[in-house]
Amino acid sequence: MKLSLCALLTVLALPAFAAIDRSKKPEPDPAPAASFPEYRTETLPNGLKIFVIEDDRKPTITLRLVIRSGSAVDGKKTGTASFVAGLLNRGTERRDAATFAVETDSIGVRVEGAASDDAISVSAGGLTKYTDQILDLLADAVLHPTFPADQFTRLQRKTLSSLEAEKQEPDALASKLLGKVIYGAFPYGDYLTPESVKAIQREDLATFHKAHFLPNNASLAVVGDVKAAEILPLIAKAFGDWKRGELAGEKINPIPELKGLTIHLVDRPGSVQSNIIVAATGPARNFPSLPEVNVLNSTLGGGFSGRLFQNLREKHGWTYGSSCAFDFKKLGGSFQATAETRNEVTAPAVQEILKEIARIRDEAAPEAEIALQRQYNVGNYLLSLENSSRTAQRVQDIDLYDLPADFYKTYARRMSETTPAKIQELAKKYLTTENVAVVIVGEAKEIQPGLEKIGKVVVYDQDLKPVAK
Amino acid sequence: MKLAPFAALCAALAFPLTTLAAKENAAPARVQLKPIKFVEYDLPNGLRVILHENHAAPVVATYVLYHVGAKNERPDRTGFAHFFEHLMFEGTANIPRSTIDKLISGAGGNLNASTSFDQTDYYFNVPSNQLKLALWIESDRMLQAVIDEKGVETQRKVVKEEKRMRYDNQPYGSLFEQLAKLVFAGTPYAWVPIGSVQYIDQAKIEEFREFYKTYYIPNNATLAIAGDIDIEKTKKLVEEYFGDIPRGAEIKRPVVELTPLTKPVQQEVKEDKTPLNATLHAWRAVPETHPDAYAMEMLGSVLSSGRSSRLYKRLVEKEQAALNCDAFPFLLEKAGMLGVFATGQQGATLEQLDALISEEVEKVKAEGVTEDEFRKVLNQKEAEFAGGFGTMSTRAKNLARYRVFYGDTNLINTELDRYFAVKREDLQRVAKQYLTKEGVFVLRYPAAQKAPAAAK
Repeated sequence: MKLSLCALLTVLALPAFAAIDRSKKPEPDPAPAASFPEYRTETLPNGLKIFVIEDDRKPTITLRLVIRSGSAVDGKKTGTASFVAGLLNRGTERRDAATFAVETDSIGVRVEGAASDDAISVSAGGLTKYTDQILDLLADAVLHPTFPADQFTRLQRKTLSSLEAEKQEPDALASKLLGKVIYGAFPYGDYLTPESVKAIQREDLATFHKAHFLPNNASLAVVGDVKAAEILPLIAKAFGDWKRGELAGEKINPIPELKGLTIHLVDRPGSVQSNIIVAATGPARNFPSLPEVNVLNSTLGGGFSGRLFQNLREKHGWTYGSSCAFDFKKLGGSFQATAETRNEVTAPAVQEILKEIARIRDEAAPEAEIALQRQYNVGNYLLSLENSSRTAQRVQDIDLYDLPADFYKTYARRMSETTPAKIQELAKKYLTTENVAVVIVGEAKEIQPGLEKIGKVVVYDQDLKPVAK
Repeated sequence: MKLAPFAALCAALAFPLTTLAAKENAAPARVQLKPIKFVEYDLPNGLRVILHENHAAPVVATYVLYHVGAKNERPDRTGFAHFFEHLMFEGTANIPRSTIDKLISGAGGNLNASTSFDQTDYYFNVPSNQLKLALWIESDRMLQAVIDEKGVETQRKVVKEEKRMRYDNQPYGSLFEQLAKLVFAGTPYAWVPIGSVQYIDQAKIEEFREFYKTYYIPNNATLAIAGDIDIEKTKKLVEEYFGDIPRGAEIKRPVVELTPLTKPVQQEVKEDKTPLNATLHAWRAVPETHPDAYAMEMLGSVLSSGRSSRLYKRLVEKEQAALNCDAFPFLLEKAGMLGVFATGQQGATLEQLDALISEEVEKVKAEGVTEDEFRKVLNQKEAEFAGGFGTMSTRAKNLARYRVFYGDTNLINTELDRYFAVKREDLQRVAKQYLTKEGVFVLRYPAAQKAPAAAK
């Protein structure tokens, strides 16, 4: 009874609208125009580049300072950059660690440093009514850290405990070994070990800070409910006295070439699942085909419609997720396709991943599939422009990775112009099934025999040391 | 397709009601939040609709919340709500199997879904010219989802891998499952949304169809749409797509009745993959809409929010006993708890960690919190609210959530007032009232003994 009354009401309420035809997918309205948001660029006399993005949606301000030096320039002391980043807010010339913590917490602000291979970033964000304090705290952390001995020792000890925990974390084991087998002795392959943590000395941090924390080696992005004309003088005041310096050139070995297919298996007894990464060497961030390669990547394994997800999850039910991505760094990169599968289907899953890589190289994809992937990439890029912090990061990436100034202005158009022929051409150039490193973390006694049939297997323990046969 | 993991469960703030007593503050002026305007109404079939118009970007977020979660499951059918979430991506009478994502991706959008103890939600983010597509899919799967044997078979396997990946293969991965079993024993909160996989295997296809018929009905759903829309046009579209979905039978809501605890409960979970000693202390607290919920949230912040918080200063900084230590209020629709979890550093004993946590908890009960701490936590909450709800997706989600669980959609604009209405003494009072010595559950994860061969 309720049902028919309901339907009747619907009709009565909307006499102008005929019932829709549910059997047909609705047509979209005309596509909205979207362009990369406007931003203001300034450079202080000391060389610090500043980008301001005004966004009045929230009464907040976020600052992100990027130093264009990261773990890749650790030199012999692996971990130096990450220790520097971790201790910036743990004691400065004006504030000891406890004072810094109280001052930030008291106004609901976080000032945090983080190191990646190519950069150290320091972020600070909070309410605009505290803009002066936020700038002061950020400048203090960036310019005047003292790396106090007690805090240094504490972080060292804590890091050793974290490393112990990571021996049981499949993701951590896989990503450390992956770096090593892709990059070898190139610094991108280094990871923290108890030995390297103990080798770092407090003086190394000050030395690193002095050598790399230079205004002419940095950029600062500001996002929030601010006016460029008002915030720029405040930034000039906070960072204007920062002294320019000469950046020493680092001598870095070239990235080794990967030859053949090797399976690197970390034996983690008790594993009920295998973490699989099929990896290869990839291009650096500023290579010329990034927008088009994004379409290639998502066709193979981006999102839920990518081939890897459709094959390994929806067809076989072997994994919760399967995807791939290029990790583009400043001086090189890698390609990684991943899945987490139960022990008995580990070897078949590796084979299916390799098969999908081969297929996208060997056969041009149907136009309909590429059309979907073009739209997926372009549309999601458009959606991401909603997020101003993301925009700020992109602007800083142009600076960090030496990208063409109009990179994001032409980005959507280039993705939308990609063709199946172009995708296949790029697949042949940037994907391989021959020179591949397969990293797996799992129960060796159950999965090794199957893997031996695919290729040479090297077994490691949870300290990532090769195990003698 | 995604089940909210432990971290997300812990991070999810509870947003409950409390008394709106006036409070004088001697602090700097509170920030003026920009109001999030919305209209809301019910269709005749009971579907609650909430619309928020904002043209900052050409983006639309649609969000459908079904008021069904793990607590609606039978004890011999746990994991059902989450499993069903996977099935909702299979197809409908008009949408072929396994194409929902292709439709959304091909329109330049993205999607996901999640299942928790109290709810199952589905969200699309699309360019604003694709609103009709989003409504077509959501309405068709509310009206006529197709549940066939093939989809059920595949998703059974997928969900087992999801459980292995998130829980069984991770250190401390069983923690939340063990915790719910202890703290909420005898209630439908005693199992986690991932459930036990054997029940999904045992269930017959008719049971899945029955579940759909019972819970996936307009009068158990809330649709929120936020972004680059025109309110009047959107109202018409919603009517067209959702208006003819028949209302379903009223749902019998589960009852949560806890048996009072008379003495502390302690349990050890021994697993070979546990790398460091870890311990969790939990107390039953209040449901998210209870008047004490805000004071409970603030107490959690005093204990562990930021490096000047009590637990961080004591366990991580001063004693260097813990790698991290978090107090997390976990407040649900019909029950709640406050947990304190610490992972020890190498060499720290469980006894040491337990003693330190107990000492800090007893201290806050005995002495209360200082005016500085209280002011700090309010400022943290203020910053949190001002910084939240930025994207259309978070707005749609929270508008729906406030409606369904608090009965007040406008809390998206006013909830911060409720924190500011809490008095400093309330924090000590809730600490004393809920964090009792006889009411504590202690769950310990001793570090695995290393096999002799692994020693160097």
